[in-house]
Amino acid sequence: MAERQSAGAGLLRRLRPRRRDEPAPGDPRNIGWLYVLPGLAFYVLFTLAPLVHTVYYSLFSWDGLTAKTYVGLSNYSSAFVDSALRSSFVHSAVLIAFYAVIPVILGLLLTAALTRHPVRGFRFFRTALFLPQLIAGVVIAQAWTWIYDDNGPLNWALREVGLGSLARPWLGDFSWALPAIGTIGTWVTYGLCMVLFVSGVQKIPSTLYDAARVDGAGAVREFLAVTLPGLRGEVLVALVLTTINALRSFDIVYNTAAGGPGGTTLVPSMYMYQNAFLYNKVGYAAAVATILAVTIFVLAAIVLRVGDRSERA
Amino acid sequence: MKRRLAVGLAVALGVLTAGVGVATSYGAKTATTTLTMWSYDNQDPGLEPVLKQLSKQFEQSHPGVKINLVFKDFNSLVGTVPRALASGSGPDVTEGNQGYQTDAQLVKAKLILPLDKYIKKYHWDRLYSQSTWGMFRWTPDGKSFGKGPIWGLAQTGQNVVVFYNKAKLRSLGFDPDTMPTTFAGFDKLLGQLRAKLPKSQPVIEEGNKEGYGFIHLFGGIWGAYEKPASVRNWIYHVPGSRYDTPGTIKALAKLQSWAKSGYFNSDYNAVGYDVSAGLFAKGKGVFWIGGDWDSTIIKTGLGKDVGAMASPPGPRGVWSSIGGLSGPWHISSKTKYADLGAEWLNYVITSTQAKKLMFGQQQLPADGSAKAPANNPYLTAVYKAFKTVADDNGLLLYTDWASPSMYTTLQNQYQQLLAGRTSAAGMAKAVQTDWDKFDKTLR
Repeated sequence: MAERQSAGAGLLRRLRPRRRDEPAPGDPRNIGWLYVLPGLAFYVLFTLAPLVHTVYYSLFSWDGLTAKTYVGLSNYSSAFVDSALRSSFVHSAVLIAFYAVIPVILGLLLTAALTRHPVRGFRFFRTALFLPQLIAGVVIAQAWTWIYDDNGPLNWALREVGLGSLARPWLGDFSWALPAIGTIGTWVTYGLCMVLFVSGVQKIPSTLYDAARVDGAGAVREFLAVTLPGLRGEVLVALVLTTINALRSFDIVYNTAAGGPGGTTLVPSMYMYQNAFLYNKVGYAAAVATILAVTIFVLAAIVLRVGDRSERA
Repeated sequence: MKRRLAVGLAVALGVLTAGVGVATSYGAKTATTTLTMWSYDNQDPGLEPVLKQLSKQFEQSHPGVKINLVFKDFNSLVGTVPRALASGSGPDVTEGNQGYQTDAQLVKAKLILPLDKYIKKYHWDRLYSQSTWGMFRWTPDGKSFGKGPIWGLAQTGQNVVVFYNKAKLRSLGFDPDTMPTTFAGFDKLLGQLRAKLPKSQPVIEEGNKEGYGFIHLFGGIWGAYEKPASVRNWIYHVPGSRYDTPGTIKALAKLQSWAKSGYFNSDYNAVGYDVSAGLFAKGKGVFWIGGDWDSTIIKTGLGKDVGAMASPPGPRGVWSSIGGLSGPWHISSKTKYADLGAEWLNYVITSTQAKKLMFGQQQLPADGSAKAPANNPYLTAVYKAFKTVADDNGLLLYTDWASPSMYTTLQNQYQQLLAGRTSAAGMAKAVQTDWDKFDKTLR
């Protein structure tokens, strides 16, 4: 490497045809590993290793303290016939509607409205609507527990407008506790969806809107033909993020109805917690955790796959 | 650049050495022994002030000893204590919980010490009656409850008491000084009160948000229809015991009929236990049926208008209710200061000072030799309720001790029973199924 002696030599080298063992500029080099090492180490240590560990534990009957016994896949076969686990996944499906589907729809409507009729103080609203994302789940749960209280503001408002017959202890009601928790989820996530979509809209070329208007498209047509296709990527990201949120939700459930009344708000993460820390069935809890993780992977993959296909179509 | 680095390095080194110097000299001067105690007895305020003051006195009589009291809510304490003890950096002395969920685990995993040595040393055997000790006994494999060595010691007696609002009873035309002495009479009174009270007001104010409100309340009804000894045997997993007996099913049906007749506040599933006691103290409901450890809350609100009695007995004539002793104190098998921990336990449980402070907080010392202070009729009534039941061998213990998942099962089943979503027989079957499933693992 004697050429390195002067700057001129560098220029010469660039003009000279590249040797075969020399990588193209921009080709991956081994040094790249060094750059990702800190992040990778963290990921392996705090995400990958616990994941593998959990799968390993799920093959044992273990109380978390004394010696464990290998039981093969029997934790999974009992999970398969466990009606409590099954109903917890049904509750999760309801939560997905509230955490993912409704917020995405709300976010899209808000975005459509905002792009057509820009409002003053938009930056303020954007921040305000995004704020729930930044508040700890426990705090949100406390606040909403108060709102839903039998003597809380929600029931007060209902009584004030003459709808007192609708007032109820929301979180203690068999039919309403789950939707009530779902509503909290909607409140938390729709701001995130809206911020994602609003920033996505800005990269849609304005010429497309001009073209649509010239062609005489109304608000609805314009939204369906220009905005929605342009936001496909953002909608996918929002759906994946919020679906994962819905499936993993623990803090809000635990701090509001805690699985009750009568098990109507039991979600898989809550059930996993109960097995691991209350019933001393760590192996089974690990199996539930693994099933939950696989479900999340599969659902995220499906959402992305479907999105991909509609892009190609 | 280089020089700045050198200066920085020197400063950093200086700070470091200075820090080390301070640490060593400080450590040498005050060779403190710190004992960490975990407790969940902070029910607004419960035993918390008692433990704090007694620990301060203990520190004064033991120079160089520091007591680090850590209060956690019940669920987070029992949820974390096994792993905390196993880690070796957990508490030296801690409360556990009788039953298969917590204590059986701690015994089986050898995380706590048997107390025989200290029972002899401090004559603790005189504290409770022979049958009461059952709730602290386990075989070392953690399988048999009610027999084997003693692993724990409790501070207070606990009993689910019927608290009543005297002023309200009077205003509705009833005499609070002649309360019913039979369950049938009590049941009838509830019906009469329901008829007289406006619909919006509950007869019994109850909080079941955590799920134990009705586990507790049910004891009074249960004892009227079922033998207390059978209930305890079922909890101890004595072979052949059952929950789905005709007596228990009748009692569950009675509870369901109370709910159906609108005796309870409609929001019972959304209101916390202690919160409901607070609401009763503010005048909601004629009765609050709950733990006597909340009697301070009630006294603070109602003052002279509050009365307390044990749940009246059924045809068998045995006074019974859910109750036992408070959470069992255990000594960690990994602590370096087991003897000191036992000395602290002896002080906070048996000393004259301890009993005086407990009564001062309306808490009932478990020590059978304790005497309630004179000129305090309320406390005397609460203590009498406990003594009546305890002396009648009517304490039903806590139903959830029967299996690790029993608490959640009962929580679910009571909520469903009260909402009319399951029948008394259906609930009895579900609870027995949980018991059977766990019983198999013990054989």
